[in-house]
Amino acid sequence: MNRVKGRTISLLILCGIFIVLLLLFLIDYEQNGAKWAAFPGNSHVYSDGILTVGTVLDRNGVVLATVEDGRRVYNEDKTVRKSTLHVVGDAAGNIGSSVQTFFADRLMGYSMINGVYSLHGTGDNVYLNIDSQLNVAAYQALDGRNGCVGIYDYTTGEILCLVSSASFDPANPPAVEEAADGVYINRFLSSTFTPGSIFKLVTLTAAIENIDDLFQRQFSCNGTLTVGDEQVTCSQKHGDLTIGQALSVSCNCVFGQLALELGADVLSRYATQLGLLDSFTVDGYPVAAGSITVDDQDPGQLAWSGIGQGQDLVNPCAMLRVMGAIANHGQAVSPHLISNSASFFGIPISLHLFSDQERLVSEATANTLSQMMRDNVLNYYGQDNFGDLAVCAKSGTAEVGDASPHAWFVGFVADEEHPLAFVVFVENGGGGSAVAGKITATVLRKACGQ
Amino acid sequence: MSLGEDILTALTGYSSLQAVWDGFLSFTPSLFTAFARIVLPILAIWLLVRVARSLFAGKNEPEIWAWLILNGEVKLAVNHWENVIGRGSSCDILLNFPTVSRSHAALIRDAAGNWTLTDLAGKRSLLLNGQPVEGSVAAHYGDVISVGGVEATLCELSPEELRQQSKSRTKPGKLVSPVKTLLIICCFDILLATELALNSDRSLWPVIALCFAWLLLLMIFVYLLFRGMRRRGYEIETLAFFLSSLGLTIAASAGAHAMIKQTVALTLGLIGFLILGLLLRNLQWVKALRWPVAGAALLLLLLTFLFGETIYGAKNWLQIGSFSLQPSELVKVAFIFAGAATLDRLFAKRNLYSFILFAAAIVGALALMGDFGSASIFFVGFLIIAFLRSGDLATIALSCAGAGLAGLLALTVKPYIANRFEAWRHVWEYASTSGYQQTRTMVALASGGLLGVGAGNGWLYKVAAADTDLVFGMLSEELGLLIALSAAASLIIAALFAVKSAYNGRSSYYVIAACATGAILLFQMMLNVCGSLDLLPLTGVTFPFVSNGGSSMISSWMMLAFLKAADTRQNASFAIPLLKFGRRAVKKDE
Ligand SMILES: [Zn+2]
Repeated sequence: MNRVKGRTISLLILCGIFIVLLLLFLIDYEQNGAKWAAFPGNSHVYSDGILTVGTVLDRNGVVLATVEDGRRVYNEDKTVRKSTLHVVGDAAGNIGSSVQTFFADRLMGYSMINGVYSLHGTGDNVYLNIDSQLNVAAYQALDGRNGCVGIYDYTTGEILCLVSSASFDPANPPAVEEAADGVYINRFLSSTFTPGSIFKLVTLTAAIENIDDLFQRQFSCNGTLTVGDEQVTCSQKHGDLTIGQALSVSCNCVFGQLALELGADVLSRYATQLGLLDSFTVDGYPVAAGSITVDDQDPGQLAWSGIGQGQDLVNPCAMLRVMGAIANHGQAVSPHLISNSASFFGIPISLHLFSDQERLVSEATANTLSQMMRDNVLNYYGQDNFGDLAVCAKSGTAEVGDASPHAWFVGFVADEEHPLAFVVFVENGGGGSAVAGKITATVLRKACGQ
Repeated sequence: MSLGEDILTALTGYSSLQAVWDGFLSFTPSLFTAFARIVLPILAIWLLVRVARSLFAGKNEPEIWAWLILNGEVKLAVNHWENVIGRGSSCDILLNFPTVSRSHAALIRDAAGNWTLTDLAGKRSLLLNGQPVEGSVAAHYGDVISVGGVEATLCELSPEELRQQSKSRTKPGKLVSPVKTLLIICCFDILLATELALNSDRSLWPVIALCFAWLLLLMIFVYLLFRGMRRRGYEIETLAFFLSSLGLTIAASAGAHAMIKQTVALTLGLIGFLILGLLLRNLQWVKALRWPVAGAALLLLLLTFLFGETIYGAKNWLQIGSFSLQPSELVKVAFIFAGAATLDRLFAKRNLYSFILFAAAIVGALALMGDFGSASIFFVGFLIIAFLRSGDLATIALSCAGAGLAGLLALTVKPYIANRFEAWRHVWEYASTSGYQQTRTMVALASGGLLGVGAGNGWLYKVAAADTDLVFGMLSEELGLLIALSAAASLIIAALFAVKSAYNGRSSYYVIAACATGAILLFQMMLNVCGSLDLLPLTGVTFPFVSNGGSSMISSWMMLAFLKAADTRQNASFAIPLLKFGRRAVKKDE
């Protein structure tokens, strides 16, 4: 009998295998349960693939989307609907980054303990950080042009304004085949674009920390920089310049030269350090990662990259985070779209208990950059446009082949009362400060109540 | 409007008493569900903890069947019916003398109490009363056994010693009161039935009430029956009743007819369980019936192979009049019954070969029918039995290699079989085709969370074959992951108990049968659960006791008899005869 007793270990092994498999499953469930519950075939919370629970509200409690009689309904104002489309989402779930799609588990009030069960069966309220009126202002300022506007509080991480255009009315969505090109894409979170001159901030950051006599140097521009076969040109001969003046006038020759001097490794290291090349998450949603292609063997390409042309691509949200870091003395506070989700009884859940910060640049460098960007506004873009807001900014006009260039305007307000960082991008919009800067001025004044 | 109605409206918002009642009824299900979804998992876990404590925490003192008195001084206890005597450390009676072989002799008692001595060393150094033993001879009390020169006298236990033994051995129920456990499971079932009824169509209420009332009656009947037989072990039955009540809930999703069918199957299974348990009391009968049962099993499979119905791609159904059954389920019982063996049969290799042939015939027949799930269950059952019988890893390795080759052959001959596995580990990419069932299982499971959305409130039952293949998902969705895991834990507990039973096993037949039962139930559940969760390929086998299906319910219940037959705790199991000593049986042992 003793022998048979020893052999019962075979049954114990079988038990062990089963328990291990169950544990593997439980880990999987813990990590992916929310995704499973948010599957559109789940008829507890979807009907014909349309989410039938949960309400989306802006920071002031304005209802952006809710459910009435089992149907999804949106805000009664058409401009509110269109300007918040990429945040709120459409019923069919075509906008992958939206609350109704990516954050559907929050709308259904999913939790590991209760699943999607709730006594009342109406899901949760999801409060966003955005201000729908600010979104309307930004959407109207974009005036039908494709692009995006993002504004966030660089001390708290709250995204106050997020507009992506082209948009459509979620209450009367177009058929998929009739929808405008790229209408489902959230340009702010999910796209990358040629940055143009705003990328000079990256080159400048590297130069400040790697070239000792940067601020003593006298640069000169004769309108053309020849690197091998490539010719980097300026719109005019800038003559003799300090580095500050070179930034203000956005001198391509100077920054092309700086890129060559820094080398490919340093340039790409700083682009990485500033978070432009890797994806990070906004409340769990992964933003698109940017890219640059530089090589010391190809100096022409390197010079182009140093001024944000060539193969450079950046994501607007990542750029916004860099602006936040510069404004916040080098510490980037992660942007957050969702304030909290509260269940029916008003008990808020899943608040961000601590703001997650990451140092992107040293405090000294950040302060130097701030000062230089402030000088840009004072000496070049014109303070008049921004009332009495201490705006620090850099414009960008990104050449994209034969089409009209992309217009960029990025920066922040250096003001404890209004700690706002912003990114304004207009696809094929034209000149950076003229087009995007004007939109910025409109939206910032609205945001600061001016 | 009268004044009374005005007051009523002011107080309740309803304009008539009828409306108040209707309003009350419309709120009751959701309120009751909110209550039951918390209480049910608590009861289930409480129940399992009690059962596990009762099975494992109590002391289990060895039984003593005879004494071997060494050189007139040292008294060695003979703890099993089947004992190997020798020098090796795995011997039951250890004689550590250089003249003794590692495994020298076997001393075996039959159910009637007659002892047999068998020579295992073959060196003519085993003597009974001075005569060399060749093969086996009968041994009697008072006989002197000489093992390699070491002399031992076989002595009977005195009536006083027997009385003392049955008095001092721990009886189940001392640590954990079985009445209280019965009460908990009754509460669980009543709560479950009420929740299910409230969330179901009113036309289903009578059937739900009837089936669950019948289940309660059966539970109480079995408890009283055992009490009348002075048996106190009720844990295994509690686990089975717990799973069966979950099975009734699953069947309810398929309608009144399925519920009644499941209740009838449960009753038949319980009867089969009791009959098989009583039969297993007598090892003599069992040994005589092994080959006839094996023959009947093969015949049944042959009939299925010739005349079977094909359902879901497997030709494994037999239609008899309006009654259809899945013979492979009943064959499981026969497989264990014929596959387990007493110690005397374990010494000859020839016996193992005939078992291998028997197993190969069954596995092969099922594979030919296209029932790969069942085939793999039998194969695992075979591996466990073969290993318990021989301890021979080479045989196991060879069998696995053989099965692997056969599997490869099947894949080359019938490549479409591989298509069944295309979605495995990639179900989300095949979410609307071959991964449909698994993805919906996970979606429904996540919707239920740990506590569930309430019995009768799920949607997973609408998916094809959900009430058999996806029951883990259905349980999780409606009753919560905690209860689904409790169901899995129930069979793990049963399997662990089979392992524990080996420590005080009387005959290797009972231990092997119990472990094979544990392995088959466990592995079947593993295929079902892990298949629906995409951890293993989905094979479409049933979750014992829980999946909707009469044949499975009956065979699962019957297999439990093997666990009961291995439960040697004092006064525990009805499948073990009470010891008689002196002239009358002990009456006072409560
Ligand atoms: Zn220049």
